[in-house]
Amino acid sequence: MNRLDYLVLIATILAIPLYGLWRTRGRASLGQYLKGDSSIRWATIGLSVLATQAGPITFLSMPGQAYESGIGFIQNYFGQPLALIVVCAVFVPIYQRLKVYTAYQYLGERFDRKTQLLGAFLFLIQRGIAAGITIYAPAIVLSALLGWRLNLTIWLAGGLVIVYTVIGGTKIVSITQRYQMIVILVGMAIAFAIAVYRLSPDLSFGNTLSVAGKMGKLEAVNFSVDPHKRYTFWSGLIGGFFLALSYFGADQSQVQRYLAGGSVKESRLGLLFNAAVKVPMQFFILLLGAMVFMFYQFEQPPVYFNQPAYQRALESSHGPQLTELQTQFDEVFAQKRAVIRALSTASSSERDAVTNKVRTLDAEARALRDQTKAVLVQAGVDPKSKESDYVFITFILQQMPHGIVGLLIAVILCATMSAMAATLNALGSTTAIDFYRPLIRPNASDHHYVVAAQALTAAWGLIAIGVASFASLVENLLEAGNILGSIFYGSILGLFLTAFFIRRATGSAVFFAALFAQMLVFVLFATTNIGYLWYNLIGCAAVLIFAPILQQTLFRSAEASAEV
Amino acid sequence: MSARDDNADADSWRKAYGLALSLFAVEVVLLYLFTLRFS
Repeated sequence: MNRLDYLVLIATILAIPLYGLWRTRGRASLGQYLKGDSSIRWATIGLSVLATQAGPITFLSMPGQAYESGIGFIQNYFGQPLALIVVCAVFVPIYQRLKVYTAYQYLGERFDRKTQLLGAFLFLIQRGIAAGITIYAPAIVLSALLGWRLNLTIWLAGGLVIVYTVIGGTKIVSITQRYQMIVILVGMAIAFAIAVYRLSPDLSFGNTLSVAGKMGKLEAVNFSVDPHKRYTFWSGLIGGFFLALSYFGADQSQVQRYLAGGSVKESRLGLLFNAAVKVPMQFFILLLGAMVFMFYQFEQPPVYFNQPAYQRALESSHGPQLTELQTQFDEVFAQKRAVIRALSTASSSERDAVTNKVRTLDAEARALRDQTKAVLVQAGVDPKSKESDYVFITFILQQMPHGIVGLLIAVILCATMSAMAATLNALGSTTAIDFYRPLIRPNASDHHYVVAAQALTAAWGLIAIGVASFASLVENLLEAGNILGSIFYGSILGLFLTAFFIRRATGSAVFFAALFAQMLVFVLFATTNIGYLWYNLIGCAAVLIFAPILQQTLFRSAEASAEV
Repeated sequence: MSARDDNADADSWRKAYGLALSLFAVEVVLLYLFTLRFS
């Protein structure tokens, strides 16, 4: 990075929060602080919802995921448009009618205080940890490649977010997310265009896609019913539906985004915008990863993308072993490049044989990279994040022109800031409204609760920074976030669906049903190897099954007294 | 707002949901065709 990159980077990440602070100057009521105001339109809500979900992991990890495993991850988003329609039709009118600040207040009104607290508690645990991952994920990669100090990176990015989120509340989060998302979309479009432009002139774009497909990178849809396969049409449609329904319907970091407009119409339009654009957007991000993969079929990639870790190992006693692996990797790369060139001109009768040769060489190259990683582990420089997370950022730093490098680093930091701001805003609001107000200071003034929400938002920011500072090994940043969500979301969604659709269920039955369901998911997670998206369905189904059973057995008298 | 307005509003939203659903179906079909073409 040179001075131009730093100038673009600093200007981009500072200008947006400063503009947000100017737009939200002045004292806000509790309603304005927690829900924004009616000036927020559907386009801002739509971009805000998109930015909250995307986060830095999407832009750092997802191209790397496609580079390693292809674009099949797109299927995880198949349940989302359906879930968003259900949220628009069922959740939004209820939240807007009851004028709640948090989703869990609805549980309190429908059931009782302990069920409200359970829903809020599950959210706080899950999101509190996730906020740490949100900031740790880009910090570990950027600090390693740019030589920035890890803790300083975490504190600078996190500190800026805490300051503007605490001051401006929901309105500033929505406004800044709108412009951060525009920067992100423009930056990723430029990255995609440059990646395509930098592809080998030996192959047309169509031939490049054909070769990528033959190397297993472009299987977007797989109808396999094997539950152990992580990414299939069915797990994405069914498991993804429950994950998205819980995330958009019952996760305060999203609920707060679409309640910001104050009207059912603006909320619904913002969500339907997401239903329309999410799958195409993720497709292009994954396809960008596949294009980076094809770029590195003609331009030699590093044998190990996390170069700082590799260099440390090279200087150790394991250096000769790594040099030997590098030599073998160079030979395999040269052979593979020649065979891929031959593939593009092969006749149809030769194509199968040449394709098999490419696949064999690609598997050899992969095996050499795995061996390199094993040597790094032996050398004691075991990297703290997955190598694929370094693929896209390495491509940015080595292949993009100056200025664009700064813009794309700003994209990653904008994504971090927007996701973290939404999370802190939601954590502070939930703690203030669901815990502080009913349990500690029930009858204070509006201004008192605004100050309490601000203090709690700051406290959650410090907790997130603490989690990020002490997080050491997150196997795969993208997966970690989704797995964590899937473990908790099923039970939370079960609480809400029981509230909507099982009229006879009372607070105690649904409370214990959710506890049992959560324990069941913990046990399954610890003892089985099923695809994590299924936990959303299992947790939710368990609450929906346990609640009526408990209602009809242990809590029958509660139902009778409730009817009286 | 009258009952007729409510019904008209509900109808509009049903159409909007139908449109979003159709768009999603088209996206999946295009992705499947993309998979068939390039895998």
